[in-house]
Amino acid sequence: MNENVILEAKGICKSFSGVPVLQQVDFSVKRGEVHALMGENGAGKSTLIKILTGVYTKDSGSVFWEGKEAVINSYKDCQKLGMACIYQELSVIPPLTVAQNVFLGREPRRMGLIDHKKMNEMTQELIERYDFPLDPVALVSNLGIGLRQLVEILKGLSCDSRLLIMDEPTASLSGKEAESLFAIIDTLRKKGVSIIYISHRLEEVYKLSDRLTVLRDGKNAAVLNHDEIEPRKVIQTMIGKVVDESAGSSKEMRKNNNEVVLEVQNLSDETGFFHNVSFKAHKGEILGLGGLIGAGRTELVRAIYGIDQYREGTILLNGQKLHPSPKRSIRAGFGFVPEDRRGQGFIPLLSVNRNTALTNYDRIKKHGMAVSDKAELSMCRDAIERIDIRPADPDKQVGLMSGGNQQKVVLGKWLMRDLKVLIVDEPTAGIDVGAKDEIYGILEDLAKSGVVVILVSSDLQELIRVSHRILVMRKGSVIREFDSGVITQSMVLEAASGLVEKEVS
Amino acid sequence: MKQTTIRRLISLGMLGALVLLFSCMSSYYLNGDNLLEIVRDASVAGIIGVGVTYVIITSGIDLSTGSCMALVGMTMANIYRYTLLPIWMMLLIGILVGLAAGLFNGFVVAKLHLPEFIATLATMGIFRALTYAIAIRDAGGVITSQAMTYSSFVRWGGTVGKLHYVSIAFVIAVILGQLVLKKTRFGTNLYAVGANKKAAELSGINIAKTRIMAYMVVGLCSAIGAIFTTARLQSTTALLGNGFEFDPIAAAVVGGVSLSGGYGDIVGTFIGALFMSALDNGVLKLQMNTAYQYVIKGVIIILVVMFDAWYNGRMEKLAQEKGRKEAVSS
Repeated sequence: MNENVILEAKGICKSFSGVPVLQQVDFSVKRGEVHALMGENGAGKSTLIKILTGVYTKDSGSVFWEGKEAVINSYKDCQKLGMACIYQELSVIPPLTVAQNVFLGREPRRMGLIDHKKMNEMTQELIERYDFPLDPVALVSNLGIGLRQLVEILKGLSCDSRLLIMDEPTASLSGKEAESLFAIIDTLRKKGVSIIYISHRLEEVYKLSDRLTVLRDGKNAAVLNHDEIEPRKVIQTMIGKVVDESAGSSKEMRKNNNEVVLEVQNLSDETGFFHNVSFKAHKGEILGLGGLIGAGRTELVRAIYGIDQYREGTILLNGQKLHPSPKRSIRAGFGFVPEDRRGQGFIPLLSVNRNTALTNYDRIKKHGMAVSDKAELSMCRDAIERIDIRPADPDKQVGLMSGGNQQKVVLGKWLMRDLKVLIVDEPTAGIDVGAKDEIYGILEDLAKSGVVVILVSSDLQELIRVSHRILVMRKGSVIREFDSGVITQSMVLEAASGLVEKEVS
Repeated sequence: MKQTTIRRLISLGMLGALVLLFSCMSSYYLNGDNLLEIVRDASVAGIIGVGVTYVIITSGIDLSTGSCMALVGMTMANIYRYTLLPIWMMLLIGILVGLAAGLFNGFVVAKLHLPEFIATLATMGIFRALTYAIAIRDAGGVITSQAMTYSSFVRWGGTVGKLHYVSIAFVIAVILGQLVLKKTRFGTNLYAVGANKKAAELSGINIAKTRIMAYMVVGLCSAIGAIFTTARLQSTTALLGNGFEFDPIAAAVVGGVSLSGGYGDIVGTFIGALFMSALDNGVLKLQMNTAYQYVIKGVIIILVVMFDAWYNGRMEKLAQEKGRKEAVSS
């Protein structure tokens, strides 16, 4: 085996309830290299990382650390070997200082008391060795997210970690914060620290990585060296040439010349999740919103629906200015299917009946106040029949139903209203294929009846198949519109990654 | 200036303003004897507040401290009445009962995973009921108070010079409590557990042990509080400490200990306890209806908690913006 390889995984297989997620995956990281791991959502990246860090156990295959087979059953095992994972949701302790965070649980002591002086000195040494812009005695609560992340990296390094795993480290960083992180990553590489870098952002990967492993559908799609990393090639590899040219994943986009129902003008929010977004949506149109995770799509549609505030801009419905709040939006004819189905879409402990009634009390009240049980039940039966919710039992607790039927309940309560605009955010995440098709059917029927459907989806195949027209967002702005011609998944992904924009400029 | 320093100045300012206000309204307020009285009356709540602060820092709460005091007091009364054990043994057993009560709280919370609020609400009832079960009864079977008048016990309720023993104990408890919080692994772990349990676990901290130990410190502090209270009253009843769980929590909150965990320290609680006592004292000195005491205290707590929520959110936002700016300049 190559002396230079620090971590090597061979023939890793993993399935969840019979569904293979990883099949014979090989993966290796050399000493002092930044190795990017890429793939579409569901390609198996996070499963592979969870196996390497001991969160999941592999079904078969082996992992070698510095040439010796390693058993990793818990995160502790992984730490002992010399790996550290920099978590997406930061795991620092804000009320403590930088030094206290770095040495948490391993504080140097003198006569039973923590030796703060020594701890600060040790931290300072580490800071100087890796040239981090940190102060050992600064409280982490006073640091921005970028610096907090450095604290976590420093903590990993202080345990003598020789391999850091960074999962979407720039997801919540501003551009400048990300630049500082890249400089740090470069320093670490020069000091011989290896890094597994997981990111959806192609330009980061080109800039940073020495090698790149692409996973597709749980299998190795390619391992590329630095000079072989070429944007279009990576995208083609991630999506797969065969898939890209097959019927299901390319479609002709079209303009819709009906009257404009929803118009958004120069919408910006306070924190910069989206800025200066304008678009028009026409009657009977399914408008897709594409983009990478963190592009600001969810934040945008939440603001349009009125859950979150926006700072400036205008929202017009049929030419009338709208000051959205969920209550006003519902009255005006909006429907909203949120991304987090279980957490925000429905009330798991309540029945289909009650969940359907939630947004429709104006329709089923009698004598002004009380709810008519009869009207409630007949409305629920109507919903069950119209979109084939199974089991067809109004009293069934929604939390106990399958994902697809849960989503149908979420949709069903909106179908009972006189809808003008329906916003759906990742409507089929975690739903089986059959139910997916049914949900697409529901959305298409709605559009035929004149409703505007706004579809946010990270599933490129779905986005292209369902949408009539697609807007691509990147870093909070709409940067591309596809309204004519045949488009493919690669084209959308290239736009979302900023490649097309670059070529134009 | 640091966020914590500003918060400290705010609670000091509140205490100063309150003392100033009452001094203007009553000529009996601002003098040495009365100030010592304020410190004395702050002491028991403040001593228990040391433990309660630990628990609140772990994002927990303890509602059982008043009942725990009663149980400790009644245990000592039984020893006093029915045994020939020396006073120091009586005190030691009292403290062990307090520690056991804390251990039980900690076990229910950390091992049985009950929400702190419900767990200690339940043990509040349990400890009170146990107190009634072992209460001293007269010949007719009616619960009475038990006098405890040995001079070697009662003197703990008295003074050295003008200074009350309980006030001295309060100051020692605050110094020790702050030292442990800031200078030991246990203290650091309390913050870690309160601010981010998952991160604490990944750093190899035993979360259950940390939480149980925090509750045991509350038990210890409640027992010490019970000893000084009964020594001063020279007796105990089954009603000892009834409703008293409110005061240590109030002291901690006014002193800047965040109810969502992770922030605050013992010096803050010290100031908070003095504030609450200064308020009680002033209400008495002004001969206001004492019922208003609790109205005022309640309103102050609502205001302080509202302020802290707003202030901490604001600081978090500022930190993020500052972080962005720093990244731009570097």
